[in-house]
Amino acid sequence: MTFMRAYQDMVFSTAARLTGNDSQAEDIAQEVFMRAFQQFAHLRTSPTAGGWLKTVATNLTLNYLMRYRKRRRLFSELSDDAVDESTVAPQIEWAQDTVFAGLSAEQRRLLVDDALRQLPPHQRIALVLYHFEDLSYQEIAEKLQVSLTKVKTDIRRARAALLHLLQSSGLVRECL
Amino acid sequence: MNEQPETKDLAEQCLNHVLRELPLRRAPATLESRVLKELKRGADLPWWRRGFGSWPFSVRAAFVAGCGAIIGSTLLEGSWAIAGVRVLNEAVIQSMSWMHPAVAAVTSAGQFAALLERVIPSTWLYGVIVAGALLYAALFGLGAAAYRTLYLQPSIAGDRR
Repeated sequence: MTFMRAYQDMVFSTAARLTGNDSQAEDIAQEVFMRAFQQFAHLRTSPTAGGWLKTVATNLTLNYLMRYRKRRRLFSELSDDAVDESTVAPQIEWAQDTVFAGLSAEQRRLLVDDALRQLPPHQRIALVLYHFEDLSYQEIAEKLQVSLTKVKTDIRRARAALLHLLQSSGLVRECL
Repeated sequence: MNEQPETKDLAEQCLNHVLRELPLRRAPATLESRVLKELKRGADLPWWRRGFGSWPFSVRAAFVAGCGAIIGSTLLEGSWAIAGVRVLNEAVIQSMSWMHPAVAAVTSAGQFAALLERVIPSTWLYGVIVAGALLYAALFGLGAAAYRTLYLQPSIAGDRR
């Protein structure tokens, strides 16, 4: 169980940020470790175990979200490039040193997680894959099976919306 | 889209910096016990309820041999039938005599359909098929409109996220 304790926060965080739902993230994390224990003999001593777990967590979460999306997509996302204009946040300008001034790391995490949960799923997923999982626009487009343009648009709007949410909650001071 | 490139790059860089600095979320305390419980449940399962890879080697070999035998006998029977050997088929037909009434009913229904097809002009049949397709498409469209209106409008149906 030392193995699991070493990686469970990372696996859970990966799934929770993508799904925006703790209950689903816990189910996915459980499945990730069930798969890991099937290959435990190899993973136990592997220096790349963390990377393996992160990749499996990301892929399982995306599979889960894609299955869920396919059920709704027929009616809600008929156009690949359909973007809900109402979700576009106003343009904001800001400076790096104005963000999160005076907050602890845990407080910052709570606030960002809360803001991430408020983003539309297609924006949140693209943003998390880009900023947390280090995937390129092209890789995200392939994983999500959408166009490159849509990925870029979603990420740009997600960034603007996220900063707007943080600003409106008073966590980002007046921008320069 | 209207964003200035410099601002966009700065926003990306800063958000990237801020998000990467965030600590990981703590996994629920129940996760470890759930995984342990699931592992134990899997270990307690009898071999025939586990994946094929977990079956004993002898059973896997027997299973593969059995499948091969079934496939082989199926192919063999097919070749016999083609060659005109009907003894086996007759035996099968006799053993399936209890199905004769059902076969007769299906045959009668087929004959009735063929009769209708001869009596009714083919134009009418095509018309019925087209009308059916149009009705199906109309119902599909109505369903989509109802879904968009009632389910995807948070102000009406409530935000389900």
